[in-house]
Amino acid sequence: MTLVFSLAIAALFAVGAFLMLRRDLIRLIAGMIMIGNAANLFIMASALRRGRAAVLPGNGDEMADPLVQALVLTAIVISFATAAMALVIVYRVYTSHYSMDLTELSAAEEEQSERDEPESGDLVEQDIEEDIEEMPDDAKVGVLA
Amino acid sequence: MIALPLGILMFGALGSALLDGTRRRNGWLAAVILLAAIIATTWLGWDVYHHGTREMAVGGWDQGVGITLRVDMVGIIFAVLCQVVLLGSLIYEVVSDVGARIFPSLVLFLAVGLTGLTFTGDAFNFYVFFEISMMASYILVNYGETPRQFRAAFVFITVNLLGSVLFLIGIAGIYHTTGFLDMVRIREQMPLVQENPAILTATIIFVAFCVKLGLFPFHFWLPTVYTGTRPAVAAMLSGALANIGTYGLIRFGIDIFPRELEAASMVLIVLGSASIVYGGVQALSRHAPAEVLAYSAIGQVGYIMIALAFAGPAGLAAVILYSVLNSINKAVLFLSISLRGWVATTALAIGAFSVAGIPPVGGFFGKFVMFDLAVQNESLVLVALIFIGSLLSIVYMFQMYRRRIATPELEEDVIDGWGVQAVSLVLALSLVGIGIYPEPMLNLIQVAAESVPKGFTP
Repeated sequence: MTLVFSLAIAALFAVGAFLMLRRDLIRLIAGMIMIGNAANLFIMASALRRGRAAVLPGNGDEMADPLVQALVLTAIVISFATAAMALVIVYRVYTSHYSMDLTELSAAEEEQSERDEPESGDLVEQDIEEDIEEMPDDAKVGVLA
Repeated sequence: MIALPLGILMFGALGSALLDGTRRRNGWLAAVILLAAIIATTWLGWDVYHHGTREMAVGGWDQGVGITLRVDMVGIIFAVLCQVVLLGSLIYEVVSDVGARIFPSLVLFLAVGLTGLTFTGDAFNFYVFFEISMMASYILVNYGETPRQFRAAFVFITVNLLGSVLFLIGIAGIYHTTGFLDMVRIREQMPLVQENPAILTATIIFVAFCVKLGLFPFHFWLPTVYTGTRPAVAAMLSGALANIGTYGLIRFGIDIFPRELEAASMVLIVLGSASIVYGGVQALSRHAPAEVLAYSAIGQVGYIMIALAFAGPAGLAAVILYSVLNSINKAVLFLSISLRGWVATTALAIGAFSVAGIPPVGGFFGKFVMFDLAVQNESLVLVALIFIGSLLSIVYMFQMYRRRIATPELEEDVIDGWGVQAVSLVLALSLVGIGIYPEPMLNLIQVAAESVPKGFTP
C-alpha cells in the first residue's frame, strides 16, 4: 500500500512539475493544482494507522487515523480556493495583455524595467553631470565651485 | 483573552468586507479596528511579560485534544510588529484615497493571518493562518490594477503557492514522524525521530520559509513583485508578510528542529553571506528606487540568516531585533519612496540612515548586535562580511537618495499631500525613537529570546 501511495504521489508531482515548466499559463495553473493534490495525497499517506472508516467503528476493528482526514479536507478547501484565485489572476493577465504566453509576459516585464532605467549602462560620472544640468542655476554654482 | 485580538480582527475584517472601502469613513473604521487589535495584543503582551507563556485550547475542547493557541513574547513582538506596519500602510492608503472597495478589509484579513500564526501552538493551524494571510496578499498585489500589477500578482501567486505546498508536505512529514501537531509535543518527540526523516522534513520547511523571506537562491520572484505593486502594498509585503519567514524559522528552526539547525549552521552562514553580497551588489547597480529597495531586502535577510545560524539566546535576540528594525526600515522606505516634499524626504533619509546603520537611528543597533555576535564567536570572516555588507548598504542607500532628490519627476504616479507624508514620517520617527532610547526594546527582546526553550548551546 505504501508503494502504491508513493508511486501515485510521485506521478502526480512529476506531472505537475512538468506542466509548471510549460509556457502556457493555464497549463502552469494545472501543474500547480496537480502538485497541490500530490501534497494532499501525501497527507493521507502520512496517516499513523490504516483501517476501517473512523465513523462508527465496530468493536475490535482497527480504525483509520481520523486526524489526517480532517487535515486533508482543510487542505483541499484551501488549495481549491487558491487555484480559483490563480485562475482569476490568469484571466486578469489575459485581459490586460491579450496573451497567455509566458515569454510575452516576460517581454513586457523587460520593457517595463528598461523604461524604469533609461540610463542603465551609463557611467556614474555621466549620471552626475546630467543631474547637475537638471539642477537650478544657483545650486549649480555651488556644485561646480 | 488570547482570542480577543484575533476576534476583533476577524469580525472587523468580515464586517468591513461588506462596506465600501473607497469611502474614507470606512477606511478609517478599518484603521480603528486594527488599532483596537494592537491595543488588545499589547495588553495580552503585558500579561505574558509578567506571567509567562499563555495557552488555551479552542472550541471548549480539553487541553491536548483541541487546537492550542499559545502566546509567548516572541509571538507578541512579531504580532505587534506586523500590525503596526499594516496600520501604517493602511492609513497611508486611506489618506491618499483607496482605489478598491475591498482594500481595507483585505488588510484586516492579512492582519488576521499574521496575528493568528504568531499566536498558534499547532503546526497545521499555523499553515491555515499562513494561507489566510497569503490569500489576502495574493489579492492585495493586484491592487492598482494595471498590467504591471497583474504580472506581479501572477509571479507572486505561482512561487508562493509552491512554497505553501512545500510547507504542507513538511507538516505531514512532522505528523508522520512524531505523531503530534502540537508544537510543544513535537519538540518533546523530535529527539526520538531518526536522523534522515528529520533532516528531510527540516530542509523542506526551511526552503518553504526561505521562499517567503526571499533569501538568495529563492529570491527570483521578489524584485518583480516589490517593484510591480503599489508602494503601500510593497510596504506591507516587505514589512509584515516577510515576517512569516523569520517567525517560522524561529518557531520551526530553533524550537522544533534545533538539532538540524545546528547541523545546518554552515549552510545558513553561506546562504546568508551570499544573500548579503548579492543583494548589496545588485542594489548598487540598479537605478529605479523601488528596485534598489527590493534587492536591499534580499541583502538584509542575509543578516537574519547569519544570526539564526548562531542560535542560542544571543543569536535569537539578534534575529528578533534585526527583523523588527528591518521591517520598519522597509515600511518607511517603501512608503516614502514615491512621495514628494521635504517631510517625506526626511522620512526617506531616516530610513536610509537606518538601513546603513548610522548611530542616531535604530538600524545602528541591528548592525551593532550583528558585529557583537560575530566578535563573540571570534569569526573574522563574519566581521569582515558584515563590514562589507554595511559598506555596500551605505553606498547604495545614498546613491538612491541622491538620485531621488536630483531627478525632479520620474514617475507618472507620484502621490502628493501632507497626510501621506506625515504617515511615513511618524513611522520614521519611531526608528529614531528606538535609536535614542533602545533600552525597553532591547529588554523586551532579551526576555523573548530567553523564553524560547534552547535545544542546544552553540
